[in-house]
Amino acid sequence: MNPRYPLSAALCILTTLVAFPLRAWLDVANIVMLFLLTVFVTAVWLGRGPSVMAAFLCVALFDFFFVPPHLSLAVADAQYLVTFAVMLAVGLITSHLAARLSERTEQAQARERETRVLYELARDLGGALTVDQVAQITQGFLAGLEMDTTVLVPASAADPAAFHEFGPRHLTDLELSFARSAYERRTVVETDSLAGMGMAIVFLPLTAPTKVRGVLAVAPRTDVIYLVRSRRTLLEAVASLVAIIIERLHYAEAARQGELQFEAEKLRTSILSSLSHDLRTPLTSLVGLADSLARPPLPESAQETAGIIRDQAHAMHHLLSNLLEMARLQSGSISLNREWQPFEEIVGSSTRLLAAILAGRMLEVDVPRNLPLVSFDAVLMERVVCNLLENAVKYSPKGARIRLSAQAGKASLEVAVLNDGPGFPPDRLDQVFEAFVRGEREPAVPGTGLGLAICKAIIEAHDGTIAAENHAGGACVRFTLPLGTPPAMEEEAAP
Amino acid sequence: MSDAKPRVIVVEDEPQIRRFVSDALRREGCTPIQAGTAQQGLDEVVAGKTDLVVLDLGLPDMSGIEFIRDLRTWSRVPILILSARSGEQDKIAALDTGADDYLAKPFGVGELLARVRALLRRHREDDDASPHHRFGDVEADLSRRIVSRAGQELHLTQIEYRLLAVMLANSSKVLTHRHLMQEVWGPGHGEQAHYLRIYVARLRQKLESDPTQPQHILTETGVGYRFQP
Repeated sequence: MNPRYPLSAALCILTTLVAFPLRAWLDVANIVMLFLLTVFVTAVWLGRGPSVMAAFLCVALFDFFFVPPHLSLAVADAQYLVTFAVMLAVGLITSHLAARLSERTEQAQARERETRVLYELARDLGGALTVDQVAQITQGFLAGLEMDTTVLVPASAADPAAFHEFGPRHLTDLELSFARSAYERRTVVETDSLAGMGMAIVFLPLTAPTKVRGVLAVAPRTDVIYLVRSRRTLLEAVASLVAIIIERLHYAEAARQGELQFEAEKLRTSILSSLSHDLRTPLTSLVGLADSLARPPLPESAQETAGIIRDQAHAMHHLLSNLLEMARLQSGSISLNREWQPFEEIVGSSTRLLAAILAGRMLEVDVPRNLPLVSFDAVLMERVVCNLLENAVKYSPKGARIRLSAQAGKASLEVAVLNDGPGFPPDRLDQVFEAFVRGEREPAVPGTGLGLAICKAIIEAHDGTIAAENHAGGACVRFTLPLGTPPAMEEEAAP
Repeated sequence: MSDAKPRVIVVEDEPQIRRFVSDALRREGCTPIQAGTAQQGLDEVVAGKTDLVVLDLGLPDMSGIEFIRDLRTWSRVPILILSARSGEQDKIAALDTGADDYLAKPFGVGELLARVRALLRRHREDDDASPHHRFGDVEADLSRRIVSRAGQELHLTQIEYRLLAVMLANSSKVLTHRHLMQEVWGPGHGEQAHYLRIYVARLRQKLESDPTQPQHILTETGVGYRFQP
């Protein structure tokens, strides 16, 4: 039995014993005061129940010992009934007030304790370097409250339904489905059906400032299920702490990855650039020296040989450029130097660059004057157009027609390069954009099969599309570039 | 114009390239002087009246950009850049610092000599600049601000005219986008490169017989423009 009740009874009896010898000197009204004091002390000290009991007991004792007729519960003077009623009312009210006060104090103390443990948890979590450590610290903390926890974080951005689990045991499929539901709906999910089976019954989404980072699953140990429920506020605080820590870990990791990537990119760029420099230097000598030889003092056949050496060195440079370009494009992080410009500039510069090889073909250019500006990387786009024109020359007979056209569609600029020639082999149309794949199986025309792969990589980096097809009597490659909204331009005032 | 052979300094650390460039220049009637380092090159420019510097951007002792900056503080001699890098940024930086033209490695003797001839001619003409220009069927008289094509007077807006005038004054030189923006619009317009491109396109439509395949106002992709008479 609760020891507070006998204690309260003892206090009442003690008061009676103290007051009894004094009744000759003290007025009854003052003796009432002593009893009221007792009820008050009981209320403050022992709480609500004992003080209610004390109120009734004091009324009884006072009546029995101090109200005439003495040593009887009978009351001679009816006005004492008022005294009893007041005494009882005062006793009950004070006991209620005092009890509420002490309850509040206790609550405040409990809250303070909670804050302190949360603070300690936050401090411990602050030192965590991995999600695993976060889960262990959280588990250690909630184990003290008779709970087991599992931290669930999405395994990958691509499939947020699959979780990595960090906890003392593996969750069952049923638990996982509750966790998924909490994750997707961003609300706390509670369930009764699993209670008592040692399974998690509360699933809290780990809501961090930017997004939901996972789920905290809480399982009661043994039969203290109600404890889990009653601790919901605490659990929510823990969940938001864990969420913030996981987000911090995520950004720290992202920053580290970014740094690594940057370093790798820097290394790759410097390797490619020094390769490009080191290979171009001897090729420059070769081209220049052979070119110097290919002139009159030498007999005609030797001149021709020198000319071939020069052309072959040029061809080698071309291959080298394509390979380096492909390596750069395939590194996956092409930095486009996009600017708004008319597409016709690329047409002009490409046809001028290829003037020598285009001389043997009939070039038709169909580019309207009023094409809108398009945002693209001029150097890379020139590469695309050059590659397509070169291919058109390579795979067409001398004197054949080559046509370069551009037109503005609804949302994109549409460019086509076509030639009169054998066309692509119909069964390999979809493969021609793959690196090292060429139109013919045993090509008679030299090349690496990188040209179209480079075009595809560049066009796709610009969010465009590229496709190969055959038209009646030749091959055709079409590509598109998104049009977008060119920046505004102020027209100059009339002179 | 003097009858003396043009003195050309070839600053290039690769002896084989230096050799064939020098041979080609000699055949062209120049006096080539070889320098293996930037310092040697600068010394040679000081040593005598120089008509042209052919400069490799990747020198061991000094970056090409520093060389140009150094040289440009006291000399206006034309500079032709030889660049083995494919990146456009190096070329643009060199041109903005004061180089006149560039040639990407590898290059043929023909290309080299064409650039050398154009720069030497420009260097001579600098002394007696004429306001009269003629290219294709276009005639421009900058003293009277009249531009005509096939005898027909053309109407050019102020900006078009200014753009043409800058290009004519720098014919055969590569002009970077930034340089042209500054010359035509004044400083502080570097962000609006599409203006330049639109005005170049309009100028081409007025002056070129086929604006999609211009013969005079040429695009140096990723770098700028070059006017070729």
